[in-house]
Amino acid sequence: MNTIGCNEFLNQLGDWMENNRSADARAHVIRCGDCRSLVADLTAIQESAPSLALDDPEPSPRVWLAVRAQLEQEGLIHDGRRAPAPASTGWFDAIFAMIPRPALAAAYLAALIAVGAALVAPGSGYFQRTSSGSARWLSRTENATGPLSAQLNSAEQDTFSSFKTADPTVAASLQKNLAIVDNYIALCEKSVREDPQDEDARDYLYDAYQQKADLLAQMSDRGDIGQ
Amino acid sequence: MAEPEAIRLAQQGDAAAFERLYQLHSRRVYSLCLRMVGNTAEAEDLTQEAFLQLFRKIATFRGESAFSTWLHRLAVNVVLMKLRKKSGKETSLEQVTEGDEEAGTPRRDFGAVDIELTGSIDRVNLQRAVEQLPPGYRSVFVLHDVQGYEHNEIAEIMGCSIGNSKSQLHKARMRLRDLLHEAVRAKAREERRAAGSASGGEV
Amino acid sequence: MRSLATQPGPLQHWKKASVLVPSLLIFGVASASAGDRITQHFRVDPHPVVAIHNPGGTVTVRAWTKSEVMVIAQRATTEVAFDATQTGNRVDILTHALSDNAAPGELRTDLEISVPQDTELQIHDDAGGVNVSNVLGDMNVETITAGVDLEDAAGYLAVKTVDGSFQCVRCTGRIEVSSISGNFRFIDIHSPYVRAQTSTGNILFNGEFLPNATYRLKNYSGVIEVRFSPGDSFALDAHSLKGQVHNEARLDPPSHHHFLPRLGNALFGSMNAGRASVELSSFDGTINILKRD
Repeated sequence: MNTIGCNEFLNQLGDWMENNRSADARAHVIRCGDCRSLVADLTAIQESAPSLALDDPEPSPRVWLAVRAQLEQEGLIHDGRRAPAPASTGWFDAIFAMIPRPALAAAYLAALIAVGAALVAPGSGYFQRTSSGSARWLSRTENATGPLSAQLNSAEQDTFSSFKTADPTVAASLQKNLAIVDNYIALCEKSVREDPQDEDARDYLYDAYQQKADLLAQMSDRGDIGQ
Repeated sequence: MAEPEAIRLAQQGDAAAFERLYQLHSRRVYSLCLRMVGNTAEAEDLTQEAFLQLFRKIATFRGESAFSTWLHRLAVNVVLMKLRKKSGKETSLEQVTEGDEEAGTPRRDFGAVDIELTGSIDRVNLQRAVEQLPPGYRSVFVLHDVQGYEHNEIAEIMGCSIGNSKSQLHKARMRLRDLLHEAVRAKAREERRAAGSASGGEV
Repeated sequence: MRSLATQPGPLQHWKKASVLVPSLLIFGVASASAGDRITQHFRVDPHPVVAIHNPGGTVTVRAWTKSEVMVIAQRATTEVAFDATQTGNRVDILTHALSDNAAPGELRTDLEISVPQDTELQIHDDAGGVNVSNVLGDMNVETITAGVDLEDAAGYLAVKTVDGSFQCVRCTGRIEVSSISGNFRFIDIHSPYVRAQTSTGNILFNGEFLPNATYRLKNYSGVIEVRFSPGDSFALDAHSLKGQVHNEARLDPPSHHHFLPRLGNALFGSMNAGRASVELSSFDGTINILKRD
């Protein structure tokens, strides 16, 4: 058996950790304290790693809600069922309490928009439990959209404070299109107020919220660049 | 509902099948995303995006690979794209090796106490160190050592060779070792400073 | 009524021929020629992934028959870095600014990329233009102002712009495109699923209606125009909340109403047994269903 030095052992260390251990390498580890220590460290790291996943939680329920609502909107789910309505508004309100601040979190907004849309859609629990009166519809819709609108406005302020891009045409485009979306949100909100039972108007309103959330997320990404 | 049946029904648009697939895989995908980005908000964002992409493309799944492998490939792509957009720099899976990895002897910090890591790795320090790894190393380490994927599965997920996966993993562990040693030294320095202050500067 | 079909296309076609520099190319090694032109080659296996992040400048992707990815980068200045790396069967191509103070023109890099036909593409280009032809793999494209022009593409095509226009000619596979103010044109497509949503942009659809396919076109304002031939078979649901719907198709009325009556201007019916599903909706724009010339 040839004796090998630390150089050669290091070259074989990757294989060693894959349990492919030559006799030379075994002999070296017995003799060399430094290399033995190195092996012990790497083994400790390997053995500790699974513990990182032990307490990993499930993602919060809103992730599935948002996925499902988006798939329904895209027509990928065909059974026509809607996301289940909450037992009470308290559940819906509780979602807002969990929103991280101040950064924009596109997933949270998407989930809120999806849940909001589901709450006031025909077939949802809300619709079945309320009367068909316009005033009740308007109230329910405003309960769902009010916090969404406030959250989007807040996210917009946070985004502008950090937004930065090297290209002025890109910046101008983003801001121009933000104004376009804001204008449509205003028009859709007006339509919904005029006829709260109009499903299409509500549909457009939630689409507009979603577009705004996507656009703010894109602007927010650019705010991270260069930091 | 078993997975093959859920896949078949999901390809036909069955809502319960979609939900079943989500239940079967969301935790692992979320765990992967969480280990890669280190915060729950972004990890949920990425989990949502990964599952949306999966369900949009599910009709194209032909079974050439395991479903979970296909899903994790989508998730890793989603995470890497996001990390690239955020940093504006290349988040290449391949990293230039540093000089100390090529050195003739294992790296030693002269003057520092030799401390083996065995017994001194706690989860918080390890997670912090993982977050400092370059994204390519981080991906392979999380997939192999944390989540238990084999190299042939990682090769398929990452679109690299098995040899590449092994090499990346080894480099990741070596880098983690350096980071953890630095954390231990930093802690020792803090403790010495605190002890020095407490005793009024007397040695 | 002036048709969208007679208006010039919003995008210029990039018809540059790919030029091979013979005998000086070494696979996987950069050969920086004079000035700011860099060429790199990467050998790949079937179904490679090519990810391109080029915020400023054009991205032109063409398919070829080689098992290789070739990248030609034309940089305006050296204020912008260009990196192309390969890991296994994935090639990452990235440009990024080296200086915060450079003018946008100094950061421009135009990329010409040749790829195998079955490549999966991921493209991010803020401003410039994206042009892809003959690539049959899945595609994910995101831009801000850059227009996107796809020809003879297949697979799952997902495109998102802020105000970049989108044109898809002779494409197949599933197409999903969204924008805020970009215009869309679908010409001679052969797709089982199209979902297109823009706020202020116009949408022109002049493609085939496949059996059991779904075509969902939606905007807030602007014009949605769909062209058909007498032999086409589709079930139509067209609705504009505050705008107009103009129709030249002879439709059979639906056998029953399956939802609540809608407000605004709406039109429902089937043509020739209604095998494809066509859903057109606009908030206050105009919807035109017109015969092909």
